Amino acid sequence: MTIALETRSLTKQFGGLTAVNAVDLVIPENAIFSVIGPNGAGKTTFYNCITAFYEPDAGEVLFYGKSLVGLTPDQVTYRGISRTYQNIRLFANMSAIENILVGEHSRLRASWLEAIIRTPRVVKEEIDALEKARQLLNFVGLNSLGDQLARNLPYGAQRRLEIARALASQPRLLLLDEPTAGMNPHETTDMMHFIRRLRDELSITILLIEHDMRVVMGISEQIAVLDYGAKIAEGTPAEIQHNPRVIEAYLGSGAASGLNAAARQPA
Amino acid sequence: MKIQLRHAVNAGVIFGIITIFLFLIGFTGTAADLFSDLFRNKNAASFLGLNPQMLNMLIFLGLIGVWAGAYGSRKSKSQTDDPWGAALIGGLTAGLVDGLLVSCLALLVGTLNLRGVRINVYLSEVLPDAIKLFLVGKSPLQGATVYFVWLTLTGLLGGLLSRGLGRGSWRARSGAAWNNILGKISQQSIVKQVRGSRNTRYVVYGILLLLVFLLPLRAGPYWNYTIGSVGIYVLLGLGLNIVVGLAGLLDLGYVAFFAIGAYTMALLTAPQPHHLMWSFWIALPIGVLLAALTGLLLGAPVLRMRGDYLAIVTLGFGEIIRILSKSDALTPFTGGPSGVKAIGFPTLFGKPFNSGVDFVYLIFLAVLLIIFVTNRLQNSRVGRAWEAMREDETVSRAMGINTLTQKLLAFAIGAAFAGLGGALFASRNVFTGPEDHNLMVSINVVAVVIVGGMGNIPGVIAGALVLKGLPEVLRQLQDYRVLVFGALLVVMMLWRPAGLIPSSRRKMEVGKDTGVIETPEGGRGK
Amino acid sequence: MPNIKPPARRVTTYKIVQGIIGVVFAGYLIWRLFVVFIANPSYGPDTWARFAIAGLILGSVYALVAIGYTLVYGILRMINFAHGDIMMIGAFGGYFVFEALKSIPTPTLADPELTFLNAHPALSVIAAFIVGVSIAALSGYFLEKIAYRPLRGAPRLVPLISAIGASIFLENAAQLLFGAQRRDYANPVVLTRGEGWGIPIGGSNVILTYTGVLTVVISTLLMIALYLLVMRTRLGRSMRAVSENKQVAALMGIDVDGVISRTFIISGALAGAAGVMWGIHLGLVYHFVGFIPGIKAFTAAVLGGIGNIPGAMMGGLFLGLVESMGPAVLGINFQLKDVIAFCILVLVLIFRPTGIMGEVLTEEKV
Repeated sequence: MTIALETRSLTKQFGGLTAVNAVDLVIPENAIFSVIGPNGAGKTTFYNCITAFYEPDAGEVLFYGKSLVGLTPDQVTYRGISRTYQNIRLFANMSAIENILVGEHSRLRASWLEAIIRTPRVVKEEIDALEKARQLLNFVGLNSLGDQLARNLPYGAQRRLEIARALASQPRLLLLDEPTAGMNPHETTDMMHFIRRLRDELSITILLIEHDMRVVMGISEQIAVLDYGAKIAEGTPAEIQHNPRVIEAYLGSGAASGLNAAARQPA
Repeated sequence: MKIQLRHAVNAGVIFGIITIFLFLIGFTGTAADLFSDLFRNKNAASFLGLNPQMLNMLIFLGLIGVWAGAYGSRKSKSQTDDPWGAALIGGLTAGLVDGLLVSCLALLVGTLNLRGVRINVYLSEVLPDAIKLFLVGKSPLQGATVYFVWLTLTGLLGGLLSRGLGRGSWRARSGAAWNNILGKISQQSIVKQVRGSRNTRYVVYGILLLLVFLLPLRAGPYWNYTIGSVGIYVLLGLGLNIVVGLAGLLDLGYVAFFAIGAYTMALLTAPQPHHLMWSFWIALPIGVLLAALTGLLLGAPVLRMRGDYLAIVTLGFGEIIRILSKSDALTPFTGGPSGVKAIGFPTLFGKPFNSGVDFVYLIFLAVLLIIFVTNRLQNSRVGRAWEAMREDETVSRAMGINTLTQKLLAFAIGAAFAGLGGALFASRNVFTGPEDHNLMVSINVVAVVIVGGMGNIPGVIAGALVLKGLPEVLRQLQDYRVLVFGALLVVMMLWRPAGLIPSSRRKMEVGKDTGVIETPEGGRGK
Repeated sequence: MPNIKPPARRVTTYKIVQGIIGVVFAGYLIWRLFVVFIANPSYGPDTWARFAIAGLILGSVYALVAIGYTLVYGILRMINFAHGDIMMIGAFGGYFVFEALKSIPTPTLADPELTFLNAHPALSVIAAFIVGVSIAALSGYFLEKIAYRPLRGAPRLVPLISAIGASIFLENAAQLLFGAQRRDYANPVVLTRGEGWGIPIGGSNVILTYTGVLTVVISTLLMIALYLLVMRTRLGRSMRAVSENKQVAALMGIDVDGVISRTFIISGALAGAAGVMWGIHLGLVYHFVGFIPGIKAFTAAVLGGIGNIPGAMMGGLFLGLVESMGPAVLGINFQLKDVIAFCILVLVLIFRPTGIMGEVLTEEKV
């Protein structure tokens, strides 16, 4: 089993607050791995440490065995990691297609000089990039919305566009941050199927932050639970459901039954 | 009613103060002269027993009074049972207050003048002649009464007019009206282009080209110089447009690169102080290159800073360049405060190509080149990267964009354009000195880009025309140019921050702090 | 926690270059200090004393203006470009008071030429300050109301341009109103510029000017008053709350608009006082007098850490001293002293953007 991402004792502090506390995680290639935890548990901060938005204070992040610590965010993307955001951060005033084209930036080669002169190579590269962007648009189901401004798209479409943009850089690891936030059950089910498709058709590893337990229990193969920055549990969905520490973390002591009931709802 | 009244009084006070201010800076006299040229109403004047200047000044101040009245009666709520009455009261009150203030001024100033107090020691424009004009040749008390009555009446008129013109926020309606005009214009050319697509477009360009070729031959040297200046500002505007509009970097020291281009041309081609006298065509690319290099050198440390800091630092750098070029210490190298004379001129096949007409062609060619380059860059991977950076810098880095490199690129290319403009400028003027490269140039270029419309080429051209061409047309207002310029900047930001010709889709998103998707039109509000 | 080392910091080219520049500059500085003080002293201790005194006085004025900048930046995250011009307005206010009082004759037997200005110097100075400060404060209020408030929430470039436009407008309005000539501040006789207590240092008489002492004393008092205001009063707390987070402050019931208005009033008042002092001490008043000091004061504010009030004070003093003594120490022409300020700005922003005493502003969140 190849390990796509590994963190060892990853720690991040802000002043006196330890947001991420010595987190060890091993994510196998092609897995769908979820990171859950109450609000403020440090999940997004954890993402930020992986994608080099923050520099960790201690610990190590290894992507296919190579350290990511000390890299800049753009370098991390070159290595093959992509992400979406908790609050959608598309390029609002650019069209959907343009958003995806920007996502392809790291895989294109045209320099400024070539752009001005417009060598045949650059022309071909642009045509190919556009074609690939259209394919991605279709893949996420936004076929006819390519020229719409990102900010004019409906919420669900925006979420999918963000994923398309993240896929544009041909990542090997995709970090999704609450992809179903704000969605109704129908849309959520679609997203669940979509995430599975992503993994199956594109052979990428998926790391998922989610609050919707149906999604987490429904598609994850492995789950890690963070609370106050530390990993308090790890295992399969079944194991996590019955883990008393997890239940306490979410709902306070004595709430074990509540979580089980929620997890048993039909998918 | 009370609110209405209070609003009207406010309006009266505001416009009264504005009128007083205009008098104190001597603008009333200038406006009177301007109107005299426009209206030629000598007969009407003598009919009223005034000279034409006085009549026109009354007209000018009366117009302000009308505006005061209209503004004062603007806020009438639809619930008032008597909207016409409200408008009348609003206009009347505003006019009354306005008139009161102005007549007090007239009384005060007139009396002091009669007593022989030389007001112009402190307020340099309040000369005895100006006072006499202001009082329309009457005694202080008579003059005061005239104003009181006149402004009250015009206020009333303003109130009535505003009622007739309809309700609603002026800013929104004028903005909408302007957008309408723009929309109609773009409809025209689009229709043409859609019909003939490429061919029609080439024909249109061909006609434009012909016009540009023929026009300088007919226009006199003064107009050619002006057109050339506008052209250079278009050049600079397009360059800064890349820096500010495309990459979103606040550069307030753009003049530094202009100066480097100019001084390179000057020092390499002039006999003093280095006795080099190289050819124009060799000095030109060197100037551009040096400017670009300076852009890289300056950019490297500076582009990591926050937006506001970047603005101040670049401003500082522009000033440093100016102070250095003016300093005695560097005079042997730069020519010092007196600048560099006898700068070389271009030659075409051995013959001098430096007449006014020739330079217009040259500048125009440069502008075309820059437009071409800008266009190509804008629609490429680089251009998209810039735009992404401008939208959301953090996320753009996550896209694999090395923001530092891209910013440097934008900065250097912008600097190169400025260098080109500077070199052409120096050669055309045959002389350049430190005072050609002051902060106002940077601010002017920033204004061209912002007022014209950031991020798009027609906007920059419009901006250059308005900011550089218009003052030449309205030459009588020369003394007030800078004042109007400052006021214009504020007004444009309040009215249309996206510029005269806003980029069709791109709005100004410089230094946005959050990536919230809901951004309203015009770049205002949250 | 297992024994994992903290990640190695990557040594980028940028950091290497920074290091080299830092070392070179420090070396040059040390060498110059050596030359100037030990090896080849071209200035005696009396001259250095004069430099230091001048620097301190100038520094306290810069500090006062810098606080104004920092207050506004802390609360609105914008550089109030027109702040220097508010200072100019204050300076003109004081000027006109002196001129008015100068022309009120109060003849006595002993001195038939006596004017109110010289008969009651203390009162006159107080009046000048009151008027200058009030007009400047009022200007600050209206400036915010007209040019900045409607633009709150717009992208950062928009209020900046508006500020620049306002600055240009104010400078030119002053020029058109009062003319372009430089005007002399008519100090009361007891406060004549250049006169003061003589202190013998190093062989010659170093003068501690009355105007200089006045400037430093008033500046210090104002700075202390302001610090107490921000730290101990309700308004100060509100100001700090709004600086942290406008929305939350509003939710807590703070009248955000009112607080911002009052910040501008206070900042304007400080600038006005600085303007009057500038006039009294340096003597020249004209429409452009606020421009360069404005930029230098901003440098000082950044130097101290923007948003940090004690930092602005320190920054101002530091800048004043460096500007006064710098050309001599570095061996460059006095003409270039403005360049020093700009260079410091650039260097600070490159090497320590959060300022010497650290910024007080919050980070971006992802």
